[in-house]
Amino acid sequence: MSDSLIEIEGMTFHRGERAIFDDVTLSIPRGKITAIMGPSGTGKTTLLRIIGGQLKPDSGQVRVDGRDVASMSRGELFAFRRNIGMLFQNAALFTDLSVFENVAFPLRVHTDLSEELIRDLVLIKLNAVGLRGARDLQPSELSGGMARRVALARAIALDPALIMYDEPFTGQDPIALGVLVRLIRDLNKALKTTSLLVSHDIHETVGIAQQIYIIADGKVIGSGSPEELRSSKSNRVTQFMYGEPDGPVPFHYPADDIEFDVISSQDSG
Amino acid sequence: MLDLLRGLGVRFLNWLEALGRASFLWVNAMAGLPRWTDVGLVIKQIYNVGFLSLVIIVLSAFSIGAVIALQFYTQLARFGAQDAVGLGLALVVLRELGPVVTALLFAGRAGSALTAEIGLMKTTEQLSSMEMMGVDPLRRIVAPRIWAGIISVPTLTLIFNMVAVFGGFIVAVEWLGADPGGFWSGMQDVVELWEDLGKGMLKSVAFAVLVTWVAVFQGYDSPPTAEGMSMATTRTVVISSVLILASDFLLTLVLYGDF
Amino acid sequence: MRMRTVEISVGAFVLAGILALVFLAVQVSGVSLRESEESYTVTARFDDVSGLRVRSKVSMAGVTIGRVRDIAVDTEWGDAIVYLEIFGAPGSLTADTSAQVLTEGILGARYISLAPGADEEMLDEGDEITETQGALVLENLIGEFLTNLGD
Repeated sequence: MSDSLIEIEGMTFHRGERAIFDDVTLSIPRGKITAIMGPSGTGKTTLLRIIGGQLKPDSGQVRVDGRDVASMSRGELFAFRRNIGMLFQNAALFTDLSVFENVAFPLRVHTDLSEELIRDLVLIKLNAVGLRGARDLQPSELSGGMARRVALARAIALDPALIMYDEPFTGQDPIALGVLVRLIRDLNKALKTTSLLVSHDIHETVGIAQQIYIIADGKVIGSGSPEELRSSKSNRVTQFMYGEPDGPVPFHYPADDIEFDVISSQDSG
Repeated sequence: MLDLLRGLGVRFLNWLEALGRASFLWVNAMAGLPRWTDVGLVIKQIYNVGFLSLVIIVLSAFSIGAVIALQFYTQLARFGAQDAVGLGLALVVLRELGPVVTALLFAGRAGSALTAEIGLMKTTEQLSSMEMMGVDPLRRIVAPRIWAGIISVPTLTLIFNMVAVFGGFIVAVEWLGADPGGFWSGMQDVVELWEDLGKGMLKSVAFAVLVTWVAVFQGYDSPPTAEGMSMATTRTVVISSVLILASDFLLTLVLYGDF
Repeated sequence: MRMRTVEISVGAFVLAGILALVFLAVQVSGVSLRESEESYTVTARFDDVSGLRVRSKVSMAGVTIGRVRDIAVDTEWGDAIVYLEIFGAPGSLTADTSAQVLTEGILGARYISLAPGADEEMLDEGDEITETQGALVLENLIGEFLTNLGD
């Protein structure tokens, strides 16, 4: 058993003409919190989908627990995903089920447990996220932060070996944010679950991640522990780590020279 | 000219590709028989698409039956053939109007709702999260809806037929004073169980497959935006209506085609 | 509790569909339980059965007593063989019963009318009615009339 749960080697993925990932190699260690960071639009969510087998890379290998994800059949893939919990950016609770039923859903479809046992498990999971009292609410009655916590309870219902968080901090008020950060850390400690976090919120991420990869323009531009990255020599990494508006990652979207652009449009106008 | 042709070619290829994707969707969703554990899901969907469509079906059926009886009566009365109102009404309703109108109403009432529902599930990542939980949304979400449609549309058609005949009876017999004996016996002499009712129901099943297929595909394939979803619901109604009418002609040709 | 409403509604819905099916079968298409009861078949040859169909009525004195079960053509003799399904047990028709193809109502539905004879013997399963008169075809009548006129 190697130290890494996930190994990605020379993985390339295109969407249309654009290369989202260009020869990316990285490994996610077991039992730790690893963060994938980078500017918006760099395909961080796409990476999670590739690991989960929802998308297939154009080339390269993605191995989870030593198994090549891309070569799994449809049936194998669905069985494989039982070991993965994923927290989606907008919670993705099933709107036609109550909070209790949402958390019970993976248990009902994947296990033959008795109704009493399912009830106990669901309440334990809901208690872990502090929402045992909200079991009878409908998803539409929850605030964004609560919905995300319910989704987290659902993601850990089957005690997965890997939990993937897709932008867990986006759009949360400070209190909900604090709760989430604590939950992610506690779950990792208590369950020894490998956690993979995708985010562009530096402050919170740096606070809990043990290892960070920074991706920009389809490549890994920096990796290491938060301290290592902060003192990195690469100015692309420091630009991101300290949130500077301009730098190697340009402020402007590629365009013609402004003088040329503005003047020529006046001419034609 | 060349651009026009190229444009047409591209559109045709896109259309072919969509048809291919739709076929994969259908096959993957319907592969294998429904499991017993899915019965609850199907029942819930029958409630949504079938039971909740009852009001509009009954109202339309009654008024259509009444109008046809009125038209037939006034025309046939000129030849003194009022007794033929019943059989004319029954043939028109059982063979054509029952299956076709029910399917059209179903497309508008339930098909568009199906598209919107699945589209919203996709937009809010519910389908993705289900997939990541190791549950196939095609089997869990799409298949029960298709089965519910295949059960609901013929059931609604049967109810439509009955109510339309009843509506015609009210107008022709109760109101205009046609002879009830002639109304029913004229019907019973000419209408045949398989030839008229059976083949009409066969059409109804075909329409059910078409409408639910279009509806779930449009929802599943819609871009996850507000605009994409509104276009998808519109397309569901337009495409399924056109498909119903076109396939009705083909089915009539095949089923009754010994002209 | 809400789930129960759903199930009851769906049950009622399906039940309504089944009732509609029964109504359409019995009251509209006239499937009668009589057909599953006893019946026997006799044949009759006609020179012309234009307009007669399978399931057309067979009546006596205006009362329906059977249906046309099948119609075939005898290429050797050039006439039509009609199989008549008569409700009830054999023994209801005399051996010299006569059959006639007639037209009913404005829409011109053809049916077979039987007239009883005086014979002591009765028709049995598979027997043939020999006394027949085929359908009157208007074009033939007019043609005949014109030929006679020419003479």
